[in-house]
Amino acid sequence: MPLHVNLYHEIQRQELARQRDPLRLGMLAVLVIAIGFVVNYFIVMERGHSVAVRYNTLNDEWTELQPKATAAKSRQDELNSEIAASAAMMQSVESRLLWAPVLDEILKTVPRTVQLTHLSAEAPSNDKATNSTLSVSGLSSAVEPRKEAENLRMAMGASLGKKFKHVASVFKSLDDSDQYVMLDGRRLPTASFTIDFDVQVRDAASDPAAPAAAATRRVKEGAAE
Amino acid sequence: MKLEQDQIKKLGLGLMVLVALLYCYFTYLLGPLEQNERNQASGISTLEPQIADAKTQMAATAALEKAAPAATAFLANVKNSIPDGAPIAWFPPKIADFFKSHGIDKCTTHLVSEEADAMPGFKRIVWAVDVPRVEYVSLGKAICSLENEEPLLKILSVSIDATREDAQYQHATLTVSTLVKS
Repeated sequence: MPLHVNLYHEIQRQELARQRDPLRLGMLAVLVIAIGFVVNYFIVMERGHSVAVRYNTLNDEWTELQPKATAAKSRQDELNSEIAASAAMMQSVESRLLWAPVLDEILKTVPRTVQLTHLSAEAPSNDKATNSTLSVSGLSSAVEPRKEAENLRMAMGASLGKKFKHVASVFKSLDDSDQYVMLDGRRLPTASFTIDFDVQVRDAASDPAAPAAAATRRVKEGAAE
Repeated sequence: MKLEQDQIKKLGLGLMVLVALLYCYFTYLLGPLEQNERNQASGISTLEPQIADAKTQMAATAALEKAAPAATAFLANVKNSIPDGAPIAWFPPKIADFFKSHGIDKCTTHLVSEEADAMPGFKRIVWAVDVPRVEYVSLGKAICSLENEEPLLKILSVSIDATREDAQYQHATLTVSTLVKS
């Protein structure tokens, strides 16, 4: 075996020591970290840029939409107000107490043995009131004129009861009269009477504002469909 | 491996520079960038629902705009049906003409009162309509037509009295109220 002498061992040791120099290694590590931070900075900057682009786009869109949305809101309020007013008006028209059918019922109910001399009727005093008053005065002529007047009261009560929810009637006066009338060739005694009717023409629970709100809701639902 | 004094100093200095660089990096470079991004992301999260709401609002209004003419047609018709000018000038002749067209020649109308109506833009006027000589059936038919043809008119009270002169005729007084433009 030949003898091998390494004359460069000192130089190699120095080279190895230089390569393992902690300062050099530290500087390399710092350089790698610095490069990583720079790359991270650019990644964050790019991400921020895309966020900024999105933000600017949305901001421009909002700037454009905001006045339109405000105008749309005020127009919607205006339309809702008109719809509510229209519904309230329609409700007001539909909730009127119509007198022609009432007069017709009275005409049908009064027999030929009774002559009405006075009829007065009043609608409910306001939108919340439910009752109406009706008063009839007249002369009944029959063998039993008081009974004839009572028959009229019952008949009118029943007739009005078909049209309205509740009817209460009372004789305000019922007096025998000293007058006689000739009917169908017979001389009949008479009685004068006044009958008051209290008629419930609408429900107590009805809310005048409810139809308007319901109409607005209906229109909104229709628009949504 | 054993570090020499000089190397330890260099390492210490290097560490200090590194810390300073890290501080500067996070404080002056990355920090503002991320703060700006957070602000804009927050702005986006605020703007997105606002834009969605605005679009919903505009769509709802557009839909309501389409549906509204049908819903408000009644009110528009009512407004158009009310003549312009002072009601005292047009209402009594209108009622007189109406009754005349139903065979009731004589009729007088007087203003009783006027008050603001709950509906904005309208007021309610109460009138007394006096019909001195009328048959019950004719009056009933006229009232029927009046109620059908004049939706804004409400008959508040009816009073019918037999006339002494002729049992066939009655004397009627109607109290009516009607809506007019205020």
